Amino acid sequence: MSSNQWLATGNFFTAYKQEQRTFFTHLDRSVFSLFLALLLIWPMVFPLSNKYMLVIDSTLIAIVAVMGLNLVTGFAGLISIGHAAFVGVGAYTVAALCRVLGDSHGLVTHFWPIVILAGGLVGAVFGAVVGLPALRLKHLYLAIATLSFQMIFEWTINFMTFFNQGQTIFVGRVFWFTGKVMRREHYQFWYYVTLVVIILSGFGIRNLMKTRYGRCLIAVRDNDRAADAMGMHPGFTKVYAFALAGFMAGMAGALHAYLYRGVGFESFTLHHSISYLAMAIVGGLGTLNGSFWGPVAIQFLELQVEHFSGFAGEYLPSSMNLATALRPLTFGLVIVLFLMFEPRGIANWWRIVKSYTKKWPFRY
Amino acid sequence: MSYFFQIVVSGIVVGSIYALAALGLVLVYKSSRVANFAHGQLIAAGAFIAYALTVWAKIPVFFSFIISMGATFFLAMSVEKIFLRRLIGEPIISVIMVTIGLASILDGLIYLTPFGSENFSFPAFLPHTPLSYGGVSISWTQLVGVIVTMVLIGGFSWFFKKSTVGISMRAVSDDQFAAMSVGISVQTVFGLAWATAGLSAAAAGCIIGNITGLNFDTLHAFGVVVFPVVILGGLDSILGAVVAGIIMGLIQQFASGYLDGNWGLNGTGEVMPYVILLIILLFKPHGLFGIHEIERV
Repeated sequence: MSSNQWLATGNFFTAYKQEQRTFFTHLDRSVFSLFLALLLIWPMVFPLSNKYMLVIDSTLIAIVAVMGLNLVTGFAGLISIGHAAFVGVGAYTVAALCRVLGDSHGLVTHFWPIVILAGGLVGAVFGAVVGLPALRLKHLYLAIATLSFQMIFEWTINFMTFFNQGQTIFVGRVFWFTGKVMRREHYQFWYYVTLVVIILSGFGIRNLMKTRYGRCLIAVRDNDRAADAMGMHPGFTKVYAFALAGFMAGMAGALHAYLYRGVGFESFTLHHSISYLAMAIVGGLGTLNGSFWGPVAIQFLELQVEHFSGFAGEYLPSSMNLATALRPLTFGLVIVLFLMFEPRGIANWWRIVKSYTKKWPFRY
Repeated sequence: MSYFFQIVVSGIVVGSIYALAALGLVLVYKSSRVANFAHGQLIAAGAFIAYALTVWAKIPVFFSFIISMGATFFLAMSVEKIFLRRLIGEPIISVIMVTIGLASILDGLIYLTPFGSENFSFPAFLPHTPLSYGGVSISWTQLVGVIVTMVLIGGFSWFFKKSTVGISMRAVSDDQFAAMSVGISVQTVFGLAWATAGLSAAAAGCIIGNITGLNFDTLHAFGVVVFPVVILGGLDSILGAVVAGIIMGLIQQFASGYLDGNWGLNGTGEVMPYVILLIILLFKPHGLFGIHEIERV
């Protein structure tokens, strides 16, 4: 341990090893452990109804997906308008297994961690293939390439009889050591599974960003010619970024398939791709904790909008569906306002609060 | 054989509409390097304004088309003024995301009106009996639509070739600093580029609305499908947009005419543009007529 355990006044690292630690101070570690314990314990103390648990679970799954999007768009600076399609690839990996083997085959129900990883790997392969244009293209062209992947994905799912033409494909209930996970504990079970996935991949990404494989992403984002001169291969780095994003998205998709116990086409449309992007932007592009804030904020907003339109809908003619109108409206407003006034997202607020409390009562 | 020619005719009809829709996107990209993901919503807004004026305010059809074009002219101009002017010089992802956000806002606003959920169709003002020649038929709306499109595209190209404003717009797209130094207001040009894009979007919306009826999903899908068109033609080429629009229309109609129903395929017309788009991006990313910016990554 270094002598400076509070790390408030400056950078006193004397060895690279110190800089690479996950937690810089004891305070960091204890706050994080407390927070983690809280996340693990609360569902047992305050059991929520399945309805709210589902909302929380899908927020967590969105966090997994947005972590991937943040890798490719935030850290590597490549715009991906097809992220929901990668999530869909993961989900349809599970669905394809269910179609081939039957929806309660032992592989799907007993070896689900392997299936989730497999979903991630298939997502990574698709990510790398879609990222191939990155060898030649930049910026807008790349964004449009991912857009076309989204469109091709939607068409493939919609017109292939193997995928039930976009109709729901059922996925069986999984088994845990204690036996089959039944309806009562289903949502809590997947809460814990997703939480574990988030924690593992959060640590993974945090450590990745301290190695050359993570830093090359940032180098290529900041200046790809300089990165080239430093001996990195910008093209391959971009393909690799897409593969990483595809991996995270694929895992999110597989989790989605298990949580909803079915895979339908309507969860992976262009609209969802855009909302993943919105989550990443609202959270803060290029920051790890932004991937947590963004989905939570957007999900919260969506709940409020639904609540409000349910309340206001009573005073309006029933032909008008207020929720369908208000959802894109608030959503777009949030994206535009954040980009115009706080392009660094909620993560920046967190940073401001942190530095304020550190320096209090002094201003700087 | 008449099946073949029928497909050619409908391909040209669809293609010329694509050309007109793509024109607006190219105009904005050419002058300000912004890819406008809200173009489909502008198209829809133009069509809906025209419908509201024709049917609810009982204004003659042609006048209401012109008024709706004027309305979207100012709508697009104010969009540029309010949202995009602040983002000049920001990274490209912010600009793209702002246009995506705008698309979302406009979506929401349109869903607040009856147009979001119901289907409407323009009152027919042209003869119903289609023109046919040798087994190939084309309806009057389609014919008039193609003619109007061609006239508009001709008008726009004249505007860019000859008029002072058009020349200054081209100058800005060529070199902003040089344009500024000869006294062109770059900001005005950006606004005008958006405004003309809005105008052409409204025209496209009115023509689509007359041919296929007013359905929000169809109309705003045009905003996405123009991307393959502009990439094929080259993002900064007006001629490219026109040629690629017609090529894309033909490809789409041939795909749905000859591939659907065979080998278990269905709806290929919808996906073909994107397949072509990916192929073009891999092998000729600057399109048929785009400027080659040589840059190795």
